[in-house]
Amino acid sequence: MFWKTLQRGAVAFAATVLLTTSALAAGTLRIGMTASDIPLTTGQTDQGGEGMRFMGYTVYDSLINWDLSSADKPSTLTPGLATEWSTTPEDRTKWTFKLREGVKFHDGSDFTADSVVWNLDKLLDDGAEQYDSRQAAQGASRIPSIASYKVVDPLTVEIVTKQPDATLPYQIAWIMFSSPANWEANGKDWEKVAANPSGTGPWKLETFVPRERAELVPNADYWNKDRVPKLDKLVLIPLPEPNARSSALLSGQVDWIEAPAPDLVPALEGNGFKIVSNSYPHNWTYHFSRLDGSPWNDINVRKAANLAVDRGGLSQLLGGLMVEAKGFMPPSSQWFGKPEFDVVYDPEEAKKYLAEAGYGPDKRLTVKALISPSGSGQMLPLPMNEFIQQNLAAIGIDVDFEVVEWNTMINIWRAGAADPSAQGAQSINFSYFIQDPFTGLIRHLSCDLIAPNGTNWGHYCDPEMDALFKEIRNTFDPAAQDEVLRRTHEKYVNDALFLFVAHDVAPRAMSPKVEGFVQAQNWFQDFSAISIAE
Amino acid sequence: MLAYTLQRLLYVIPVAFGVSVICFMLVHIAPGDPLTAVMPIDATAEQQAAMRAEYGFDKPLPVQFAIWFGNALQGDLGASIATGRSVSSEVSRAVGNTLILAFAASLIGFPLGIFFGFVAGIFKDTLIDRAVTAFAITGVSVPNYWLGIVLVVIFSVTLGWLPSTGAGPGGSTNWAWDFEHLRFIILPAVTLAVVPMGIVTRTVRALVGDILSQDFVGALRAKGLSQVGVLRHVVRNVTPTALSVVGLQLGYLLGGSILIETVFNWPGTGFLLSNAIFQRDLPLLQGTILVLALFFVFANLIVDLLQPLVDPRIKRG
Amino acid sequence: MSTTVDTKVPAVPARPAAEQAPAQSKGYWQGVGARLSRDPVAMVCAGLLTLLLAAVVFAPLLPLADPFTGSMISRLKPIGTEGHILGTDELGRDMLARLIYGGRLTLMLGLLPVIFAFLIGTFLGVLAGYVGGWLNTVIMRTVDVFFAFPSILLAIAISGALGAGIVNSLVSLTIVFIPPITRVAESVTASVRSLEYVDAARISGARALTVVRVHVLGNVMSPIFVYATSLTSVSMILAAGLSFLGLGVKPPQPEWGLMLNTLRTAIYIDPVLAALPGAMIFLTSLCLNLLSDGLRSAMNIKD
Repeated sequence: MFWKTLQRGAVAFAATVLLTTSALAAGTLRIGMTASDIPLTTGQTDQGGEGMRFMGYTVYDSLINWDLSSADKPSTLTPGLATEWSTTPEDRTKWTFKLREGVKFHDGSDFTADSVVWNLDKLLDDGAEQYDSRQAAQGASRIPSIASYKVVDPLTVEIVTKQPDATLPYQIAWIMFSSPANWEANGKDWEKVAANPSGTGPWKLETFVPRERAELVPNADYWNKDRVPKLDKLVLIPLPEPNARSSALLSGQVDWIEAPAPDLVPALEGNGFKIVSNSYPHNWTYHFSRLDGSPWNDINVRKAANLAVDRGGLSQLLGGLMVEAKGFMPPSSQWFGKPEFDVVYDPEEAKKYLAEAGYGPDKRLTVKALISPSGSGQMLPLPMNEFIQQNLAAIGIDVDFEVVEWNTMINIWRAGAADPSAQGAQSINFSYFIQDPFTGLIRHLSCDLIAPNGTNWGHYCDPEMDALFKEIRNTFDPAAQDEVLRRTHEKYVNDALFLFVAHDVAPRAMSPKVEGFVQAQNWFQDFSAISIAE
Repeated sequence: MLAYTLQRLLYVIPVAFGVSVICFMLVHIAPGDPLTAVMPIDATAEQQAAMRAEYGFDKPLPVQFAIWFGNALQGDLGASIATGRSVSSEVSRAVGNTLILAFAASLIGFPLGIFFGFVAGIFKDTLIDRAVTAFAITGVSVPNYWLGIVLVVIFSVTLGWLPSTGAGPGGSTNWAWDFEHLRFIILPAVTLAVVPMGIVTRTVRALVGDILSQDFVGALRAKGLSQVGVLRHVVRNVTPTALSVVGLQLGYLLGGSILIETVFNWPGTGFLLSNAIFQRDLPLLQGTILVLALFFVFANLIVDLLQPLVDPRIKRG
Repeated sequence: MSTTVDTKVPAVPARPAAEQAPAQSKGYWQGVGARLSRDPVAMVCAGLLTLLLAAVVFAPLLPLADPFTGSMISRLKPIGTEGHILGTDELGRDMLARLIYGGRLTLMLGLLPVIFAFLIGTFLGVLAGYVGGWLNTVIMRTVDVFFAFPSILLAIAISGALGAGIVNSLVSLTIVFIPPITRVAESVTASVRSLEYVDAARISGARALTVVRVHVLGNVMSPIFVYATSLTSVSMILAAGLSFLGLGVKPPQPEWGLMLNTLRTAIYIDPVLAALPGAMIFLTSLCLNLLSDGLRSAMNIKD
């Protein structure tokens, strides 16, 4: 009723002057991001995956890029500023990168082997003049394996790793290359470069108002002619508040928003907006503590919990905007494999496993779980956790929540399950970026990465798993490496090492005028093929 | 007179110092690591320690204060942790945007408030007075952040007349008082103006009613002074107090826009402040609070200095 | 310096104490009560507030649903749904129960800071005004510094520093309201102190405490009291504002400002439902202001 009346009012006033829509150049796409600020523009971005998506792979390239052209298969690595890379069987620590010829930065200077070394120094050598602590804070931890690097010839770079590490290409894919000449031209001042950056990417940053907007225009001279943007302009607007984001889309101030609130999806669709989503390497899970005394040390308890979660019901809660977890990786992942343990909703079977572990209706198990009411990638943490709490209670596991603020939670996650800040919690509800072998599998369970030295929060250590990790790092043939990764993931699932709950689908809401967007199964996306219909 | 002015001016110095001490302390009683929000999630312990040292968070508090205060005196408020940009430039840009919004809200709130106040005061205890008073008290009672949301739903989303977020079609740079930009400011300015308008209405109404009921007005009327002449008297008598209320409300507009700016994504100080709080961006938080508080100190100062000028009856010092 | 605060209601300028001297008797309060009872608007507001207060205090005794447990299936049911008269919120919890339980926290966060500030501020103000000298300087100059902050800014800054939480909100709002109350108390006390009969009482050897209790407090209380009433609505709006920003009460506790925040996404689905918590803040604050106005005119205090 309320709506009808207002809408009738709107029609009646349609002729008024107020209805002037702003005159936009043809082919301008305005995107409402979830970040609260424009990501760092100088090269290595901040603001997590979103920063790389909008300010990293747009303005810059890496030596190795992600192939973002397909929505149907998991994305893989593809040549970027390097055309080929290899290591020799004699010395697996020595990598040779052949660089693409004739690539120019936006400022007209040439991209050469010197630029590569200069950029690595920017991140890794705090004695270098161009060392930038802000970019280093974002980039150095991405390339932990690199020991040294040098120019071989103008189009060849050699990188040496500390140990043999076949995952180096995935690490390198994080590193963005900014123009040394531009840094010189801006008085060797990264602050000034921020306003006037220069990369090699398909987009050029035209204007930039901190915290408000960034405007990118196509780089017509981009080295890959297939990826020269069709749009006239790409405008990025930070809109961290989900409601403000939706309002902006509904009132026509932006054409595209990242992560619309699930509750608003029906309203957005009702107003003619498209919802685009796709599976991507994201994981929403309970990371178990494996310290002595944790009930999660018992595989039967872990399996029971995994069989108790009604993922279909959870999906309804999220308006269908999730992938039901069948393991740690999304089912569509190239590394999913064929695990024997089938992660389904089967409360009866769950109760059997729990009885096996010695718990049941008469002897209920109580576990303490860390959760946060918000957080990036956490989807709808409170309702989802409450839902899981109800599910687990139904089979005889009572979950006590320890609710902490998101930044506190990050600190607890870094500190590990044994740290007093974890308050004895036996699991932490976290969502993971799992796009490559290291972030996807190795970092969570490797013995030498036990927190606080690394990100193995739960202090898990299994020689069998470590052997698999070692094999991943030492298998240099990509196809064979994928095979090892599949076996590793099978172990993840068969041992029920996490509570497998859900994968986000990166929903985006956009105006029907947006054409040509292909949502890759990736954290990053390609904006080159997009156009705006008149 | 001169002595009063001087005394008032000098008094600003200790207050401003006290304000900066409070700003600094406030931010440092905060629990938690200020660098958490900005470091990549996988950063190692050494990387974290290096960053802490770089921002000077490893030094004792009094030393940190001395450094910060010394720099602040030279206009340098440090660099934001989250963005690396200079706090002074972030804050000055934001203050500019907040002043635009506050100015627009003043243009709406104060004239209307004064007008309504006069009308209600002149027609005291009539139906008009009741209506105006009810309107004014509604204004002071409404939680303006809620009003903002309601206005967005009606005017932006449902009717599609006005934009709901941002400060202009191209962001806040090149702000102009033209139609394209004014469309963006209407909703936040109206929302922000409601409370001061209510307060000004109530104050002016009381003052006007008070003066009209005094004996000398009757005497003036008896002497044959026209209605306009009487009103002129009233205006002269109302001005000083009204001025002080308006001055203080101007301060309110600067600080009070925090919630409104959050609702409308208006890139001003309030928006900056809430970003700084949630990212635990200590230098930015300190700097923003300091600048806002100093603005308020000077607004008070100007009101105090102006008051004896318009109201010679007040003898100070 | 003017005594007006930047809060939403102008302060009661300190009454010339001579008007009211000697200290108010029972008869004065009876007169106030009688005048107030002839003000229909104030009486209606007082009635509504009493009703709300009663509902809030006796909430556990009312036949209400549990405000904490919800059902994912019955999320965001509209007003008038069977079993949920006022519908359900974004987690399927009963809105009526949450609004009433939420009122507990919201009203508490409106009242307690004002009460604490009233006690502390009156104490500090009377002390400064009565003793004078360097003590006055120390207290009042400190107050001046806190006064240099717009109240909303100060509340947000303190809460932002301390972090979210009920206790932290109480602390920050109390700190915000101490300076204005101290000022009013100090200026009234100072003017009372210089009155002849108070002076006489002091010279005649009456103990300082007695003088303060009999002569000063009697004169000081009613203007401060009226002022404090008007602050309650400001305090409530501020407290809810803090929660709305995520700096006040933490979920899953029901609180009107927080409910308004978490229901924001529902505003496109059921605007009336989403507007309820805000409407409650609005109506309560309106009643408080109208009652405060009534009190003011009943006490014959000019604004």
